[in-house]
Amino acid sequence: MTSKRAAKGEYIETDTGNKVSRRSQIIGTTNIILGGKTVIQAEVIIRGDLLRAHQNSAEKQGSPVAVAIGRYCFFSKGCELRPPGKVYKGWFSHYPLKIADHVFIGPSSVIEAALIGSHVSIGANCTIGKFAIIKDYVKVLDGTVVPPNMVVPSFSIVAGRPGRVVGEIAEGEVEGMDLREVYRGIGNG
Amino acid sequence: MASFKPYTYFQCPCTDTNLPPRRLGESRPPSSSSETEQEDDRTFDPRAPRANFSLYPLEHLLYCEDCHQIRCPRCVLDEIVTWYCPNCLFEVPSGVIKSEGNRCTRSCFQCPICIAPLSVSSIGAPPEGLGAEYVQPSGPYVLNCAYCMWSSKEIGIQFEKPNGIYAQLSKVKNGGTPVITPKERRKDREERSRDASVPMVMEEGISEEGEESVNLDAHEDLDAESQFANLKAFYQSQLAEASPASALGFTGGDYGYGSPGALSRIMGLYTGSNFADKRSKSKTGTMREAQDALEGLQLCNTASDEETIARLRNEGYENTASVAQLKEQTHPAHIHSVDDLRPIAYLLRTKRSKRCKTCRHILSKPESKVQTTRFRIRLVAPSYIPSISIRPLATSQNFLLTPFKPTQFVLTFKNPLFDRVKVSIATPGTTPGRFESRVTVLCPQFEVGANTDAWEEALREGAEREKRRTKAEASEGQLQAEAGKVWERGRNWVSVVVEVVPTSLRADVLMKEEDRGPVREDEDVVEIPVFVRVEWEAEGQGDDTVVGEGGEGG
Ligand SMILES: [Zn+2]
Ligand SMILES: [Zn+2]
Ligand SMILES: [Zn+2]
Ligand SMILES: [Zn+2]
Repeated sequence: MTSKRAAKGEYIETDTGNKVSRRSQIIGTTNIILGGKTVIQAEVIIRGDLLRAHQNSAEKQGSPVAVAIGRYCFFSKGCELRPPGKVYKGWFSHYPLKIADHVFIGPSSVIEAALIGSHVSIGANCTIGKFAIIKDYVKVLDGTVVPPNMVVPSFSIVAGRPGRVVGEIAEGEVEGMDLREVYRGIGNG
Repeated sequence: MASFKPYTYFQCPCTDTNLPPRRLGESRPPSSSSETEQEDDRTFDPRAPRANFSLYPLEHLLYCEDCHQIRCPRCVLDEIVTWYCPNCLFEVPSGVIKSEGNRCTRSCFQCPICIAPLSVSSIGAPPEGLGAEYVQPSGPYVLNCAYCMWSSKEIGIQFEKPNGIYAQLSKVKNGGTPVITPKERRKDREERSRDASVPMVMEEGISEEGEESVNLDAHEDLDAESQFANLKAFYQSQLAEASPASALGFTGGDYGYGSPGALSRIMGLYTGSNFADKRSKSKTGTMREAQDALEGLQLCNTASDEETIARLRNEGYENTASVAQLKEQTHPAHIHSVDDLRPIAYLLRTKRSKRCKTCRHILSKPESKVQTTRFRIRLVAPSYIPSISIRPLATSQNFLLTPFKPTQFVLTFKNPLFDRVKVSIATPGTTPGRFESRVTVLCPQFEVGANTDAWEEALREGAEREKRRTKAEASEGQLQAEAGKVWERGRNWVSVVVEVVPTSLRADVLMKEEDRGPVREDEDVVEIPVFVRVEWEAEGQGDDTVVGEGGEGG
C-alpha cells in the first residue's frame, strides 16, 4: 500500500508457492483454500467472508470454505472473486465458489460462478454470473457477460453480452492452456 | 490502430488449385495466358480472397503421419462420437436423435428475447410458518431469464411440474390455450371418416376408449407442426386409397411410400406400362389435393396480413421480434411480435472424431463420455511442425511500421521433434498486392536442435534464459544483425532476423494507373508470405514442406 512496503517486493511467496501481491485484498482468509503456485496480482479482491448462512455440518468439519482455488491459477490485476448468493427456501445464503487448476482470470473481471473447471481462460472485463458452471478447457473472450446459471461445456469459446458459445477449442490448443510457464514468469525481480 | 501484435499463420496446401487468384475489387480478370508457366514459380498470395480459407494458427491444424501433411478443418472428415445437451450435459443416444430431433427434450431452454439460459422457478406462494424451509415449493412454475428478467408468464405460459418442461411446453400455445395433439387430431379424423362411411384406414394404437373427442374446425389456423401432421396423414390416406393392397399385402399407412406396389406405380408413370400392372395404372388419376385445414390446407389470409401490419403499427418497434430472435425460433414463419416467440430448447452439441480426407486415417478421437476431456488419438500439428513466432527486434519499439524505415523482426522457429531439423525459408523480394513492401531474410538456411527430454530442459532452462537476456540487452543499443548468421539459438529453437522496408500507403503515387484508388480493407497490414521447408531424418527417411505466412503491423 505504501511505497515503503513495495520496496520489499510486490509479491509475498507462501510455503506452497503462492505469489500474493501485497496490494491485493483477501478477506476472510480462513475460509479460502489456495492449492499452491497461484498468482494473485495487485488490487485483486477475494471475498472469503461471504459464507453459507446456516451451516448444518460446519461444527463437524472445522472452518467452512467460501472460496476453493486449485494450483497454477492466475488472478490478474483488479479482478474479484465473490461466492454466489441466492434466496433458497426463504433464506438468503452464499454458496462456495470453486476454481480448479490452471485457471486464468483477466484484469477487472468479476467472478460469481459456482464452479470453474481446469484450463479455463477468462479475458479482461468479464462478468461471470451467479452460479454459472464453466467446465474444463474453455476460453471466455474479453468483455463477455456470462449470464447467471449458464453451463458452459468443455472446449467452448464464449463471447457476447449475454455470453454464448461462439466456437470450439481446437485439439492443438490444449497445451497452450497450461499456466506453469506463466507462473514461473512472475516474481519480485 | 493503437496497438497491433504481429502474428503468424500457416497455410494448408489443400486449397491449392489451378485457378488463378482474383482479388476483390478488381474488375479485370487476371490474364490466363501463361498458366502452366505460372504454376512453377507461383507464390502464395495472402491477399487473395481464397487465402482466407487456408490460413490457420498452428494450433488449429492436425497432422497426418501417413500423408506427412498438415490437415486443416477443410481437409478432415468429421464423425460424430456423442450427442449431448450443452446445458444439462446429458448424452442423447443417436436413436433418440432420429425420433426426437436435435434439441434437448428435458428442461433446457434459452430465453427467446436475449438467448441466456432460462431456469424454472415457482410462482406459488412461498410456504410460511414453522418449518417452512423444509417444505418443497409448490407450483405453478415458470421459466425465468436471470439476464433480461423475461418470464414465460409474459406469454401466458405456466407449468404444473418443475421437470419435463419440454413435454409440457409442447402441449400449450402462447397465451395458455392447449395444443391439439396429433393423437387427438387423428381421432377426430377417424370419426369423420367413419361418419362419411369411407373404408377406414387402420393405424397403430387407436382404440383408446374413454378419451374425449375433439371436434376440429375445418377453417382452423394451424401451426407448422399440426399442418405438417395433417398433410402427412392426408397424403398417406390418399396413397392407401390409391393402392389398397400392394403386392406384399401392406395396407397403406406408413408403408405406402416405400412399398413395392407404390414404387412400381410411380415408375410406371414415366416409363410406360412395363413396371406397372393394369390395376395400379388405372388408379393413377384418382389422387386429389388437400381441401381444408383438417387435411393440411391453409388458405392465404389477406385479412390476417392487415391485422399484422396494424399490430406492428400499434405495438411499435420494441414489441416487434428482431431478425436475431426469429433466427433462433424453430418455426419463425408467422411470428412478428415478441409475444409470439417461444422459449428455445437447447440445440444439442457433439463430440467428433476427425479423419484425414485423403487416407482416412483417424487424426483425432475424443473419449465418448460427455464429461471427460481426454483423447484416444490426437495428432496435432504443433507436435510435428516447428512453431514460428514473430516479434519486433527492438523491444522498446512501437509495433506500428513507419513507411520507408527499415524495421527488423525476429522469426523464432521452435522444434517439437526429437530429431534435428534443417529449415530453409524464402520470401518474395516484395510483398504481393498493390503496396509492395521490401522483405529480406538475413539467414535463409539453418538447423534447429532436437527437442530433448523434459529433465534436460528443466536443467538447462535457467542458463538459457540468462543467455537470451544478456543478448537482448547487448543488442539494445546497436541493432545490428549480420547476414547469413542466426540471431539467437537455443536447445530446440533458432531465431533469425527479417528486415522489412514498408512502403507508403499513398495510392495516388502508384506506378500503374489502374492500381490507384482508396486503401481497401486490410491493405494497411503488411502480410509476408514465407515458404518454409523443413527436412529431418528419422528412421532413414522423411522430409516435409510447409508454407507459413507472417503478418506484421503497419
Ligand atoms: Zn487443408
Ligand atoms: Zn438438456
Ligand atoms: Zn433473457
Ligand atoms: Zn492422411
